Formats: sequence, C-alpha cells, structure tokens
Amino acid sequence: MNQKEFLNIIHAFRRRLDAAGFLKRLVFALAVGGGVGILLQAVSFITPVYYVNVYSGIAVVLAVAAAAIVSLFKRSSMEHTALVMDGYGFKERFVTAYEHLEKEDAIYVLQRRDAMEQLRVHRDKIRIPLMPDWKRTALAVLLLAVMIVLAFVPSPVRDQARDYHHIRQEAREKEEEIQEVLEELDKLEEQGQEALTPEQLAAMQEMMESLKSSMSEYRQVSSADALQAAGEKLDYKYENMSGLLSDLAQSVQNGASVSAMSAESMQAMADKLKEMSGNTSAGQNDLASGQGQNGQNGSNNGQGNGNSGQNGQGNGGSGQNGQGNGQGGQNGSNGQGSGQNGQNGNTNGDGTGPGRGTGTANNAHDYVSIPNDIADSGNLTGNAVDHYNSEYYRAQNGLSWEGEHVSYEAVIGSYEQNAYEGIASGRYPSGMEDVIKEYFASFN
Amino acid sequence: MSELDKNMLGDPAYMAQRIADCEREIRKGIVGQTEVIRLVMLALLTGGNVLLEGMPGLGKTKLVSTIGKVFDLPFKRIQFTPDLMPSDVTGTNIIVKNDQGNSFAFEKGPIFANLILADEINRATPKTQSALLEAMQEHTVTVGNDSHALREPFFVLATQNPIENEGTYPLPEAQLDRFMFKILVRFPSKEELKGIVALTEGRGEPEITKQMDGEGLLAARALVNQIPIADAVMDYLLDLVMETHVPNPHIREGASPRAAQALIRAARAKAFLEGRFNVSFQDVEAVAYPVLRHRLLPSFDAISQGMSEDDIIRGILNVKKPQI
Repeated sequence: MNQKEFLNIIHAFRRRLDAAGFLKRLVFALAVGGGVGILLQAVSFITPVYYVNVYSGIAVVLAVAAAAIVSLFKRSSMEHTALVMDGYGFKERFVTAYEHLEKEDAIYVLQRRDAMEQLRVHRDKIRIPLMPDWKRTALAVLLLAVMIVLAFVPSPVRDQARDYHHIRQEAREKEEEIQEVLEELDKLEEQGQEALTPEQLAAMQEMMESLKSSMSEYRQVSSADALQAAGEKLDYKYENMSGLLSDLAQSVQNGASVSAMSAESMQAMADKLKEMSGNTSAGQNDLASGQGQNGQNGSNNGQGNGNSGQNGQGNGGSGQNGQGNGQGGQNGSNGQGSGQNGQNGNTNGDGTGPGRGTGTANNAHDYVSIPNDIADSGNLTGNAVDHYNSEYYRAQNGLSWEGEHVSYEAVIGSYEQNAYEGIASGRYPSGMEDVIKEYFASFN
Repeated sequence: MSELDKNMLGDPAYMAQRIADCEREIRKGIVGQTEVIRLVMLALLTGGNVLLEGMPGLGKTKLVSTIGKVFDLPFKRIQFTPDLMPSDVTGTNIIVKNDQGNSFAFEKGPIFANLILADEINRATPKTQSALLEAMQEHTVTVGNDSHALREPFFVLATQNPIENEGTYPLPEAQLDRFMFKILVRFPSKEELKGIVALTEGRGEPEITKQMDGEGLLAARALVNQIPIADAVMDYLLDLVMETHVPNPHIREGASPRAAQALIRAARAKAFLEGRFNVSFQDVEAVAYPVLRHRLLPSFDAISQGMSEDDIIRGILNVKKPQI
C-alpha cells in the first residue's frame, strides 16, 4: 500500500462517516421536529392556533434543515476519520501516520509502514455503521406519526381558531377595502378643493374620519357578531357617503366653476360605495349564514325591508330624502324597519322605507300612520287593538295602513327615547351619536 | 540472542526487539511483578527514576541487580539510615599524600554508578535525601566547588516501606516530583510465591545474561524520544494533567509540568516496548497511574474518605475521555 492508497481509504471512510453523521442528525432532527410538532398540536387543543399544522410542518422542516446545515459544517476531517478508524483497535496508528505523512525520518517511515500494513491486513475490521441506532430511528418515526395523527383530531378549540381566522381574514379584507376608499376619497377631496365649499369639504373629512374609525373597528374585530356589527355600520356609512357624494356631485355639476372630472369622479365613487354597501351586506350575510340560523333571519329581514326601502326611495324622488330611505333594507334586519319607515315616510308623507336617512323634513305633519303589527311578522293584516283586519292601501306618497293615529310629538318622543337608548347601548355607528342627538334636538 | 549489533543502533525495529529481549531476560530472574518490571523498563528507556513502595522482601534489590546484569551496568546499593550523611552518598574530598605533598582528592561515593538502589530512602534525614536531588535531576554531583558528572545511563531506584512510619522522614514534594514513577510493589500471588520459592530454594537461580549495554540503552532512549505522537493523543495527555488543577474536592494540589513530560516519555516508551512507533490513548492511560500518583496531593476529604491517589486518578480518567 502506498501513501495515495492510504489517503484514498481514509477518504472513503470519511465520506461514510459524513453520511452516517448526517443520518444520525437527521433522525435526531426528526425526533425534535416531531416533538415540537406534538407540543404545538397539544397547544392547539388548549388555545386557538389556526396555522398549527403549518407550524408543525415548519418545525420539522427547520429541524431537518438544521441537521443538514450542522452536518455540512461538521463534516469529518481526515484526522478525525483516521481517529475513528483507529478506534477499531488500531491504537492511533492511522492518525499518527496521517499527521506525519511529510516526515521522512526512519521512525516516521517505520510508523507509516506499520499503519499501512495494519490497514491492508485488517481493513475489514473497520465497520463504521451508516444507519443510526434503530431505537432512535423508531422514536423519531413514532413522534412524527403521533404528530400527524394529532393534526387530524378535531376539537372545538380548533374550530374556534378556524372561525376566528376567517373573521380576521374578512376583517383584513375590509380594512384594505376601506383603505382604498379612503385613498380615493382623498383624491376626490384634492380634485374638488376649488369646486367644493368648506362645508362640503368638512363633510368629506368627516366621511373619511368615519371610515378610519370603521377601519380601527375592523382591526379589533374578534367575533362574528362584532364583524357583522362592523359590517352593518360600514354599510350604513357607505350608503350615507354614497348619498352625500351624489349630493356633492350634483352641486359641483350645478356650480359655476364646474369641474366635470370631479363631479364624474364623485358620482362614480358614490355608485361604487352604493355597490360596496350591497356587497358588504351580502358578504357578511354569507359569513353570518355560516355562523347559524340568526344570520339567515337577518338576511330575510333585510330583504323584506329592502322592499320597503325601495318604496321609500320612490318617495324620495322629490329631494335627497330617497337616500335615507335606501337604508331601510339594512335596518329592517332589526325588525324595526316599519317603525322607522314612518319617520322617513314622514318626510314624504307615508313612505315605508327605514327611517335613518338623511332626509330633511320640509313639510309639517301632525300625524303619522303606524301599523299595528311589526313588519317582519308576515301578518300585516291583523289589528292588535280591535282584532279587525287591517287594510293597507297605497296613498299619495306610499304605503299607509288604516289603524290608530298617534300624535306627532308622541312618535318623535318615542323615537327619541329609542335613539338615546340605542346610543347608550352602542347600536349606532361610531361618530353618529352626535348627528342623532342633533337631529332630535332640532325638533325641540 | 546474539550480542548487540552496534551498526543497528539506529534501527528502531531492531532496537525495539532488543529491548523486548532485555525485558524477557529480566523476567527470568524475577518471578511475577510483571507490571513492576514493565514500568522499570519504561523508566530505563526514558532516563527516569523510580520510587518503589512495598514491603521488604519483595525482590526490589534483586530487580536492580538483575537489571545491572542484563544491561551490564555497575550497580550500587545505598541503605538509607538516619545517620547517613550526604557525603556518604555523593562522596567527599579527602587528603591524599603523594610526591608533591598533601592535597585534596575527590573520593566518589556510591552514587557514582549507573544503577543506584536507594533502599528505604525515607529513613534518611532530609539533608541526605536532598543529596540525591541534583544527581537525579541533573545527573551531576557538586562537592565543594566542583561538579562531577555521573555516568550515563544513570538510574535511581529508591524504595520506601509504606507501613513503618516511625523514625522516617517523608520525602518532600520537590524530591518526589523528580521520580518519574512511583510504583506500588504488591505482594505476590500464591502462584508467584511458589515460583519465587522454587527459584531461590529449589533448582537454583537461572543464569542472567547480558543483552545490551549502556550504549545500547542510550541509543534506545534516543529512538524512544523520536516516537511521534498524534495531536489528539497529546491533547488528551495534557488534558489529564490540567484536570488535576481544576477544582476537585479530592485534590489539594495538582500535578506539576514534570508530570506532563513524564507522561509523554513514558507513553512513548510503552509504545516502543510493544513494538509500535506511535503513542495511543491506552498508552497514556496505562502510565497515568505511576506518573501521577505521587504528584497529587489528596485533600483532607479524600483522605478521610479513604481514597487513595489511584482512586483520584481513576476518577480523572473517567471524566476525561479521548475526544474522538
């Protein structure tokens, strides 16, 4: 055996040693990754972690990557390989020979010759095992298997995590949507700087602030109810803004210094917001339908009252009131649409659309007609007082029911009381409390 | 085996073979005590001195005289007693009358031999014991203003009795450190005792023949000093010595740097005696006990727990494993 052969043999054992080292670390890494994965899975049974499976997978992948990197950096040197080979009963002959390959003194030559001779004769004694210990391998496989099984075990906490994730996802999408709207409003505001009056600009600012508060609300959303509530508020705001923007567009078009671009943009934005309002409602109803039966009811209610709203909108043709009536579809979900319709109908006489519109009451009315039953009962013909069937008929400005008459002051007082209770219970969109208060104050 | 071939003195393989022959020849004269013989051979091959601790009558003097015969080296025995003076060991200047008149001449003491048996060294006073210090370390003797070189190879084999402490002067640490090995001579087994009795009382002592001379021994020493040591083995060896200095409840004082030197030399010699030309981890472990046991100062805890120096060394060897 010459020196080259000696080195080649050590090199061959070195490759085997590296492979064995990698496999050993790989098994260890899989065991660690599996252990961490099991831990994560266990945690997901206690606290909601939506991405638990992803995290478990990442733990395993990271552990394997770490094993690969460590193996790369901890590759055996030739000296170490020679030492390992010496461990099979060669009494450090190989490592000594390897370290003194360049020396040519008699004793070094003799030592090298002795080492090579030993390697030539007893090479088969060196058996570096490639596979790691079977117990460790079995443990790693077991841990991984347990982790995988746990990943498929259902639990209420996991369902909760999934629902929460979807809610947050929805909320984030809404935040982005609001952000886009805000940006567009910002542009509109810039474009309309000259065409709009300071009051109109202030109104736009108010709109934007209101949207920001909605965005902040979405940021804090953590339940389906909160999401739905935020959605309803946003719908209302969109609807409101749509109307306001239409007004602004109208006024810009009518103005002397017309900025056609601004007017068109505003109208387009108003239409978009209108459309988004519907989308928001529909989207959230979809989500709500996934939550339970209540959502379904809400949808139905909304639809039913939406009709009323359309009626009201028809009434609003005389002015800006129609915009307020459009809101009826949303409010109807609370089953109060018919009552509020009266308010809006008040504007035009007898509209049945929901009553939180921005219509202005130009005509004084001493009396309003109210039904004796609630709108969503499906039974508008009954009369709770005298047990006679009510008859409804189309009056000049919309639907009206034959029934008892209540004084205007009583109706306003009742509405005012409900509104203040609503403010106290946080039923209205943030920022609208003052508007509501001012609205009712204007009647006094 | 034929006479030593002077032309082959530089051949490691040949010299290793001849040293093995010497050891075999010594074994002919000493029954049992294989470990003691092996360690004494290691000391001879490295130029170290040996402290033998054992009961009287275990063949210590016989061992030295046999070595003298095998290596054809003059042998002197000094019985250390409390009244032994340093000059009794080193020699002294005496007045000599000659043709020119009276003058001082140096009269060599028994230390001027190649092999010295300092019997019961701990019975002499520290002053006399210290007379050996220079000889053991420097291989010179200074009397008055003159230093006298000792013959090479120079080898001191001192003995001390472990049980009779009355009227003894324990060797100071500085002197102990100058002994390469402290070898414990254990009582022979029944089989060995039977062999000893048969050898001395029965069929007569075997004839011990010369196998090598002082020159051959010095050549072998030179070869031993060249034996290569792998880095990993050297690290392990140094780690062992350093481990005696880390805080250890059983060690009051650790080994000196001489311990590392002695370990290297002894491990090399062991490999050489086994016909190898490289030092292994096992070589180091094997010589760790005789090299370290007289260089460690056990703590009070260790003594109170009945731990011997060998127990402490075993603990160190268990803690420090070769890094593979």
